[in-house]
Amino acid sequence: MHSYHALLYLGAFLFCTGLMIVIVKRNAIMVLLGIELMLNASNLNLVAFNQQHGPSHDGQAFALFVIIVAVCEAAVGLAIILRVYRYFQTSVPDEISELKG
Amino acid sequence: MEKLSQVLVFVSLFAPLVSFLGICFLGKRLTRSVAALSIACLAAASLSAIIVAIRSWNIGGLIEIDWFVLGNISFDADIYVSNQSLLMLVVVALISLMVHIYSTVYMKGDRDWKRYFAMLGFFTFSMQGIVLSDNLLFLFIFWELVGFSSYLLIGHWTDKPEAGSAASKAFVLNRIGDAGFLIGLMIIWTTHETFSLSAILPSAANHAWQTAGALCIFCGIIGKSAQFPLFTWLPDAMEGPTPVSALIHAATMVAAGVYLLVRVFALFTEDALVVVAAVGMITAIIGALAALSQYDIKKILAYSTMSQLGLMILALGMGAVDAALLHLLTHAFFKACLFLAAGIIIHSLHEAQSSGSHFDAQDVRNMGGLKKHLPMTFLAFTVSAASLAGVPFFSGFLSKEAMLTAIFVHTNAVSWLIFAVILSVSFLTVLYSFRLIWFVFFGETRTPQLHITEPAWAMRAPVLILATCSLWFIVSPNPFDASGWILNSEPTQHSMWITVFSSLWVIAALWLGWYIFRNVPLGTNAFFRNAFYVDTFYSLASSSIQRINSATIERIDKQIIDGAIHASAYAQVIFAHVVGWIDRTFVDGSVNAIARLTGLGGKFIRSFQGGNIQLYIFWSVFAIIIFIIWAVK
Amino acid sequence: MNVVSLLFYAFMSTAAFGALAILFSRDVFKSAIYLLITLISVAALYALTYAEFLAVAQILIYAGGIAVLIIFGVMLTTRINGRPLSVQNKHLFSGAIVAVGLFILIIQYLPDAPVSGKNLTPDGISPFAMTVFSRYTLPFELAGILLLVALVGAAVITSHLKPKT
Repeated sequence: MHSYHALLYLGAFLFCTGLMIVIVKRNAIMVLLGIELMLNASNLNLVAFNQQHGPSHDGQAFALFVIIVAVCEAAVGLAIILRVYRYFQTSVPDEISELKG
Repeated sequence: MEKLSQVLVFVSLFAPLVSFLGICFLGKRLTRSVAALSIACLAAASLSAIIVAIRSWNIGGLIEIDWFVLGNISFDADIYVSNQSLLMLVVVALISLMVHIYSTVYMKGDRDWKRYFAMLGFFTFSMQGIVLSDNLLFLFIFWELVGFSSYLLIGHWTDKPEAGSAASKAFVLNRIGDAGFLIGLMIIWTTHETFSLSAILPSAANHAWQTAGALCIFCGIIGKSAQFPLFTWLPDAMEGPTPVSALIHAATMVAAGVYLLVRVFALFTEDALVVVAAVGMITAIIGALAALSQYDIKKILAYSTMSQLGLMILALGMGAVDAALLHLLTHAFFKACLFLAAGIIIHSLHEAQSSGSHFDAQDVRNMGGLKKHLPMTFLAFTVSAASLAGVPFFSGFLSKEAMLTAIFVHTNAVSWLIFAVILSVSFLTVLYSFRLIWFVFFGETRTPQLHITEPAWAMRAPVLILATCSLWFIVSPNPFDASGWILNSEPTQHSMWITVFSSLWVIAALWLGWYIFRNVPLGTNAFFRNAFYVDTFYSLASSSIQRINSATIERIDKQIIDGAIHASAYAQVIFAHVVGWIDRTFVDGSVNAIARLTGLGGKFIRSFQGGNIQLYIFWSVFAIIIFIIWAVK
Repeated sequence: MNVVSLLFYAFMSTAAFGALAILFSRDVFKSAIYLLITLISVAALYALTYAEFLAVAQILIYAGGIAVLIIFGVMLTTRINGRPLSVQNKHLFSGAIVAVGLFILIIQYLPDAPVSGKNLTPDGISPFAMTVFSRYTLPFELAGILLLVALVGAAVITSHLKPKT
């Protein structure tokens, strides 16, 4: 199907956008957003490949487990962000550091 | 030439030089030994000159001395011995000896006694050199030395500024003449390829070149013998001591020019001789007219010398070589005697005025009636003046008659003019001589309160000796015939008429002088007195040229040279600023840039460990991309 | 060009624009909403490529859970003083280089993706369930344990209430 390649392009685009959000934004929550976006992009790729490879549903199963792991990671990440926020009083990743210089 | 004669010639030439060198090495306090040494040397010179003259009379010759060789041209320093040079040798040595003896009294108490006698000896040596030299280059060297000695002797009294400027004027005018002499030397070298006179004189060259060379040498003679237009130094040279004037400016140095003309007469073509005669004529007239209008006794004698030299040059211009030389010799004796006698008068007046009033001892208007006070001087002075005037029974009469006869024989288109000039000059000569004697010796004493006496014998003796030499028997035994010991000429039929006519002419002039000066007071004409204002013209011209010259040079210095220096200073300052800007901008800039780059590099590398998580992510992804590109492609 | 293709492209563009909107917005709240839009679009895409269970699970978990979680997080980590929280951008140039570089790199290999003729047929959810519970039983159980651990961990991390200032 013609949509197969389009999905792959979209997946690449979402992944790169997510990467850019992670690098560029100066808020820890925004970084999390970017990570979620990247995970979704890889999920999309999986589903697209799954569509191409017949009756087996391996791709979808993989994608399901990715979603689960992503959820866990998001929860724990947010907890850490909250904790860190309480300590440093800021949510900017650059300032969450005790390194000098 | 035999050996003894050669030796005597050398003695006569070098004895005065020995005097000069010896005095230089003697102490300053030994005034008497200085005089003794110089008189001894000069006596030796005179004696040897006389002996050589007697031995080698009519036997001429050349003493050959090789000087140096340049390529295939050899320069000789030959000595020319002939009747002419031997006569001049004797005259120069004798008159120098008389002046030496005279100076021992005249210059007594002078501060620079040693320098005076040394320079007298040096001068005599140089003059003998001119007389004896056969090589034109050597002659020129001695010519210059004579001018130099004259400079030192005129300016002897160094604390008198007029003496210094007179000496400078003499030297400068001489030099101007010598410039022409040098050009003449160059021309002669070009045409004859040698300087040796015995080789040059017999040969002839291209007419134009010969005339040019002869006229250029004549320029030197004009300078040295005070002819028109280079004569203005001679009256001013009277600032020197009177014995110096007697030796140099009456008898010898100014006569050197005439002698040179006699020597190189063969080089002069007809056209050159015309110029010579013209110059001599003008000089004779100017000199006679000026001598008639002076008040200073020495200046009267100086202008008289100039006039007589003009006559000699005129005679040479008309071809009367031997007669001119004869007149030169007689003139030397009587003019030297006149100067020395004038020196006695001046000296006595100086001695007499030591207390009380001070007046110019040389001014004729302050003299008068000195016949009773200075009888011997009066006698010598009158004898010499009579010889100057050409009174019969005196040597001057004979030499003048010789000149007239020779000129009379050699007639040309303007003979009438030349005769008129000669006659008027001799008339004027008689007049001014008479005027001089009348106002100095006759009449009332204008300074009666002074006690004037005859000086020491050392001063009187030379004067008397020289006066004796002004009588007729020096020239020939016959007082009316010039050809005798010295001159050999055939008597022509005109010579008798000339003798009679000239005697009558002189007597007429004497009578006219007695008539005029007996009653008429002593007045003069300013134009003649200033010698036609030639000297004034020269000084004005040279000073204005100097002013223009110095103004121009000052302007060049201020504008061009100073301007260039200012411009270079500005350029330097601008250059320094540019260099400073370059230094600040580029050199400092590059150093700063390197520092900043290093800082940036450090900051960049430091950022890897900065604690910035997002940068870590960035760099890892960057590395992954690089890895993928490298591994997969 | 039928309705399915149209829907496909519509949801694809929605997802793309949503992602760009997250990138260019300055407001965290708005970014969270844009993420929601993107997630829902991706779920629709799942549905259109016959991964129905995944579409529903995406909406349930992501849209209903994580988006809400993020909004909670935003609320808790801001000092609300009347102004909306604005986010600065830093390292734009580096981020752009890397992202664009990676995109171009991936694009080089996309046309070589293997195309086999065996397409998935829309059979429903039961074959998928069969696959999960038969072949992937162990990962499924482990996923459950992982969820538990994450739950406990998050609770532990945020349990100390005393701020250290």
